[in-house]
Amino acid sequence: MIEVDRIRKTYGDIVAVNEISFTAQPGEIFGLLGPNGAGKTTTIGCISGLLTPTAGHVRIMGHDVVREGTAARRLLGVVPQEISLYDDLSALENLKYWGGTQGMRNPLLRQRIDEVLALTGLADRAREPIKQFSGGMRRRLNFACGIIHQPKVLLLDEPTVGVDPQSRVRLLDLVRAQAGTGTCVLYTTHYMEEAETLCQRLAIVDHGNVIAAGTLTELRALLAEHDLLRLSGVFRPDAAKAALQSVDHIEVLQADESLLVLSLPEASRRLPAIFSALAAVGAEVRGTNLTQPSLESLFIKLTGKELRE
Amino acid sequence: MRFLAVSLRKDWGRVRRDPSQFAIALGIPLVLAVLMSLVFGRTPAAPHGRLLMADEDNTIASARFLDGFHRDPLRTMITIEKVTREPGRARIDRGDGSAFLLIPKGLQKAFLMNLPYQLELYTNPSERILPQMIRETLSITVEAAGHFRRASGTPLIEVENVAVHEAAKPARSFAAVFLPSMLFMSLLFLASSSAVDIWKERTQGTLRRIAASPVSMVSYLAARVVFVALVYAAVALVGLVAAQRLAAMPVPNLPAAVLWITFVGTVFYLLFLWITVLPATQRAASVLANLTIFPLAMLGGCFFPFEWMPGWMVSVGRLTPNGWALSEFKTMLDNSVDVAHLAVSTAVLAAFGAVAFVFVARRIRRGFAV
Repeated sequence: MIEVDRIRKTYGDIVAVNEISFTAQPGEIFGLLGPNGAGKTTTIGCISGLLTPTAGHVRIMGHDVVREGTAARRLLGVVPQEISLYDDLSALENLKYWGGTQGMRNPLLRQRIDEVLALTGLADRAREPIKQFSGGMRRRLNFACGIIHQPKVLLLDEPTVGVDPQSRVRLLDLVRAQAGTGTCVLYTTHYMEEAETLCQRLAIVDHGNVIAAGTLTELRALLAEHDLLRLSGVFRPDAAKAALQSVDHIEVLQADESLLVLSLPEASRRLPAIFSALAAVGAEVRGTNLTQPSLESLFIKLTGKELRE
Repeated sequence: MRFLAVSLRKDWGRVRRDPSQFAIALGIPLVLAVLMSLVFGRTPAAPHGRLLMADEDNTIASARFLDGFHRDPLRTMITIEKVTREPGRARIDRGDGSAFLLIPKGLQKAFLMNLPYQLELYTNPSERILPQMIRETLSITVEAAGHFRRASGTPLIEVENVAVHEAAKPARSFAAVFLPSMLFMSLLFLASSSAVDIWKERTQGTLRRIAASPVSMVSYLAARVVFVALVYAAVALVGLVAAQRLAAMPVPNLPAAVLWITFVGTVFYLLFLWITVLPATQRAASVLANLTIFPLAMLGGCFFPFEWMPGWMVSVGRLTPNGWALSEFKTMLDNSVDVAHLAVSTAVLAAFGAVAFVFVARRIRRGFAV
């Protein structure tokens, strides 16, 4: 179990994490969703004991990561964002080393190495130096080194960045399987679809703050079944905003000279009214994009910007 | 201890997969020994050195006595360094200098009152030409003083011929004079390149992963230090055996010499590790390491042997960690180790290494790893 209690991390005047709180239970995959620079990795750093929070507390299965660092880290498995492995060693040698850092010994270590190699599909290439591996294989080995010691809590920091779709599916299956064994998984990502398909609960983070948290259903409810409508073209933002006030239940999330982002219920049915209102103020609509309620539309609704910005 | 074995196995695995760096480390002293022996063979060193002089008379007569050394060509070949009796003896016994001239109290009085008098000259047996020139110059000076007394009509001063002492030490070849310096220079470069490896660990994220594991930074660093010490031991063994066989460098106690090089190499590694983890970027770390290594090598007798350096520079150079360690190493080669002095040197270098170790462990834990 992870308990994050109002942690704050500052670097001089810069607030990287601002009083973030959440808990994640055994067997649960808890997602931290946010754009790059939102504070996800800093949060992971505080949880793993790499960074000392400026304020607040983190407990891993009841152990405070600052005061009982070693005990807390014994329960943790960390899969960092970068491939944190020795390139010149083989998969087997890497697993032996990282298992050894967790205090594992033979025969358990040997048994676990066989298990994780089979699990990640790397058994056939176990003795090759990993510099000969593809990106996806390295990602899987990176994951394998994080779970070699069967941690109670697993921290995954954007583990699918730069991975081909096939490897991504395989990695996500591995994460689900790990949670299925009762491991508490904290998963950070800026990929909306990953968070939607993988996580039971989520916290959406931006600029170091949790701007929304809950189950997928709870978060979607915040959108009140509103669709997200993106209109591209040529606009005068103020005039467009004024014109759209005539359309019921519409909310302008973003307006600039080339893009309007709107939130409204039953958008497809109300498109003619929107086009008419905009045409009346001289706007020229060249493209439309309609999105059903999703985490991405929620993020845009809450922050006024795209998740991948 | 368990992690030490795990870490050593990992480091040895990395060496096996990519042996080039280890081979270079072993190869540098070997190549130096071969080149030195090819270039200089086993012939004696070229004439240039230092005369240690203790003037206990401290009179006009004693001052005039050294005039011969202030004229060309001796002026450019011999640097005179004033010392006192005991340190002078100790230094010449260690082979530090071409000769040591002791002018006991009473020279001027003997000259004026026609009393018997004796100068003492201690020569370095590892050098041939310079001690001979110094001896000849002193003999001429003594003879000239005798003629002066005859011309002035007073009785001839009976200044006895200079008493020359020479310790029974084997002569050293030019290569043997240079090799300890070269060996220590390669130790410095090896320390610097080994230390920069911490940046590789940081860049590839393995340091961060270690920091998030139950392994303490002290354990991690200690394991690294042990591995580096093993590398130094191998380098020392290869280098010293090559120096013995190829360049006729005397190594009376090989295990002690290997142990010393291993110890000081590890201290150098910690020093460079300290320097390397200070800056915020790898580039800045490399620049800082280079800015440190060259003055250290120059001053500390690693580019040029102390025997070739001006006195003031030798005084400064002996205070650098490598200069200090090199001086002790030369006493080992000369089989003239002062145990008390060696104990002090070991304690100082060990303390220096310990401070660097603590700093580096703290620095890695508090930000460098992240």
